[in-house]
Amino acid sequence: MSKVVIIAWREFKQTVFRKIFLLAIVGIPVLIVAVMVLMVAVMEGHQEPPLEGTIAVVDPSGETIEAARVEFNSARIGRDEQQQRQQIQDLAEELTGGSTPPASASKFKMGFGRGDVNVTIEGVTDASDSMIEALRGRLLSDDLLAIAVIPADVLETPNPSVRERDRPEFDLFVGEELDADHTGFIERRIGEAIVRVRAERADLDPDTAMAMLRRPRSSTRRLLAGGEEVQESATLRKIRAQMIPMAFMMLLWIAVMTSSQHLMMSTIEEKSNRVMEVLLSAVSPFQLMAGKILGHGFVGLLIMVIYSGLAITSLVSFALLNLINLADLVYLVIYFFMAFFMIASIMAGVGSAVTDIREANTLIMPVMLIAMIPLILWMPISQDPNGGIGTAFSYIPPAIPFVMILRIAADEPVPVWQIPATIAWGYVCVVGMVWTAAKIFRVGVLMYGKPPSPWQLLKWLRYS
Amino acid sequence: MARPAIQLCSASKSFGTTRAVRDLDLVVPTGSLCGFLGPNGAGKTTTLRMIMSIIYPDSGSVGVLGGNALQSKDRIGYLPEERGLYRKMRVGEFLQYIGRLKGMPRRGLAADVRGWLGRLALPGVERKKCEELSKGMQQKVQFVAAILHDPELLILDEPFSGLDPVNTELLNRLIRELNDQGKTIIFSTHILHQAEQICDRIFLINHGVKLLDASLQEIHHRFDPHTIVADPLDGRIEADGIEGLQSVRRMREGSAQELELRPDANPQTVMKRVLERHRVRSIELRRLSLEEVFIQLVGQDQGAEAAAQAREDLTRV
Repeated sequence: MSKVVIIAWREFKQTVFRKIFLLAIVGIPVLIVAVMVLMVAVMEGHQEPPLEGTIAVVDPSGETIEAARVEFNSARIGRDEQQQRQQIQDLAEELTGGSTPPASASKFKMGFGRGDVNVTIEGVTDASDSMIEALRGRLLSDDLLAIAVIPADVLETPNPSVRERDRPEFDLFVGEELDADHTGFIERRIGEAIVRVRAERADLDPDTAMAMLRRPRSSTRRLLAGGEEVQESATLRKIRAQMIPMAFMMLLWIAVMTSSQHLMMSTIEEKSNRVMEVLLSAVSPFQLMAGKILGHGFVGLLIMVIYSGLAITSLVSFALLNLINLADLVYLVIYFFMAFFMIASIMAGVGSAVTDIREANTLIMPVMLIAMIPLILWMPISQDPNGGIGTAFSYIPPAIPFVMILRIAADEPVPVWQIPATIAWGYVCVVGMVWTAAKIFRVGVLMYGKPPSPWQLLKWLRYS
Repeated sequence: MARPAIQLCSASKSFGTTRAVRDLDLVVPTGSLCGFLGPNGAGKTTTLRMIMSIIYPDSGSVGVLGGNALQSKDRIGYLPEERGLYRKMRVGEFLQYIGRLKGMPRRGLAADVRGWLGRLALPGVERKKCEELSKGMQQKVQFVAAILHDPELLILDEPFSGLDPVNTELLNRLIRELNDQGKTIIFSTHILHQAEQICDRIFLINHGVKLLDASLQEIHHRFDPHTIVADPLDGRIEADGIEGLQSVRRMREGSAQELELRPDANPQTVMKRVLERHRVRSIELRRLSLEEVFIQLVGQDQGAEAAAQAREDLTRV
């Protein structure tokens, strides 16, 4: 067994077989899942207090009063909520490609845990100041929940050419105690009542008119080159186009950053423990660095396998595996090694040059900024994977692998030649970066005292 | 003559503007036990690191075991000046790791480690974490790490620093034992009487320049103070009364006197003459200790330009 492998195995063992590592690696996904479960539980268990009382609707025409009575009818409210719940369920079904969603998905209430609504509408046709004043007095003495004052012009069909904020409004007074959810609910329902009046004035059945105005759904099918048809949904398209690339990139990012951080820490430890020279009497600096990079590379790979395994398992259990292209996993591995070697050579170089973590942070900052570009530009790149920004950063190390995995996982296919081109160029950069790191490593590991400036690091490259 | 174990030819090394080692020539004969002396910052560690190929000379050459240290790392044992262990690793695990890196087969390694720990009076520590050991114990563990793989050449940078007298003696004995087995050993130290006791060759450097490179015998010959120390029982010895004596000085302590000989005088004859005239408790030919040679040479070197000349004279030995 070569010395590089002996070093790699020690590094791997010392990193992975430690309680803190297992705790962090297993703990983080467990924590995420626990938080999600807790959120669902809280949402399911959450029940708002019932909305009970009287709302005064002031409308000289009297039309809104009737409409409000319809809008605040308990049966109608129940029906509307049922409809919303149905929509969520449909969405879940759509995501899972028509298969039965797990029980929990249909139970999602998403904030529909409103308590019973038992509201009486008190119609007031006298809109005089003294009447409003009297109603306000009753609101303050908790006799009323709210007062809605409907001016005559708000009931007229609005002029589409007038800006929405310049159109007539109605006044709503609520008591100090009424919570935000209930206030919003009353605002929406009174608004609906006004729309209802407008429709009736235009001789339309309000429910029919509202249904009529809703945009129909599209059954989109993509025709593949072979003439095959693939059903596509807008929601799925959005997830596939943005969330999946993001997930792929984050997976790569977490695996690479965690493991290369361990690499840097172990290099700093060897330096500050002064064990470095003992090691260098047995192996060359390059062998030492290569062994360390290899060992921590497998740590990173392990992290990625654990996390992607968890992700795939959960996709399978939600019957959502069709969201990802399994061939992309191959690219994930190819770009993982590229990303790891790039970041690890930076970490090894910096770790060798400093004696504690604070010094390391100042040196790492500039390079990390470049590596963070894909995180910052995630949105524009995944929306337009073949645009200028995405293409340009596909050739700038160490952003190459992160940007490429983002582009490959995105919906729009990357031009075929760009994948081998970025892989080839990326690995050329890897060779350059490892070479540079080895040069710095050789000088750095025996340097103690003041941390070097980036300028000094460049000078070290010239040392024979 | 057998090929030397280590040969440095005009090796120089600078760090920035500091010239750590200048034009150093050094030959360590195979099978010898050499002491490498010099004050702090003299360039000893830099030289040893160059020998180990941990750093490289800016000019000149370094030959080790017929090649360079990189080609024969597994045949060299090295105890660096900066002691270091993995704090969280167990002693046995650490030593086995180093053994494996030094090319030892896995089979029998654990037994070798146990054996050596026993010889260094460290039985049963292999299950302990390195951080749990005392400083002296850590030092001995490091010594095991240097010799575990049975190297032909042993390079020890300050092996005795931080050890108590008992452990110093233990290490001293081991070093001699290893040398008796035919291993070439070079070690740097500040404890000069130890070097004097066990070394057969001494190198002395200061400011990166070699001041002395000679066998102990040669040093004693070259630094013969030409002085007799006598402790008379019957009062003071006078220079005037004895032919061949230049001057007489009372030693700082006791009743002994230092009799400085004329350059041409034969010490044996003068001693005989002293004994003829005086009854003495003791009489001996004085010999400079290595410490005195060290202080004299380094003092000169740090003194003035005259030292440069002295250096030239001395290195001709």
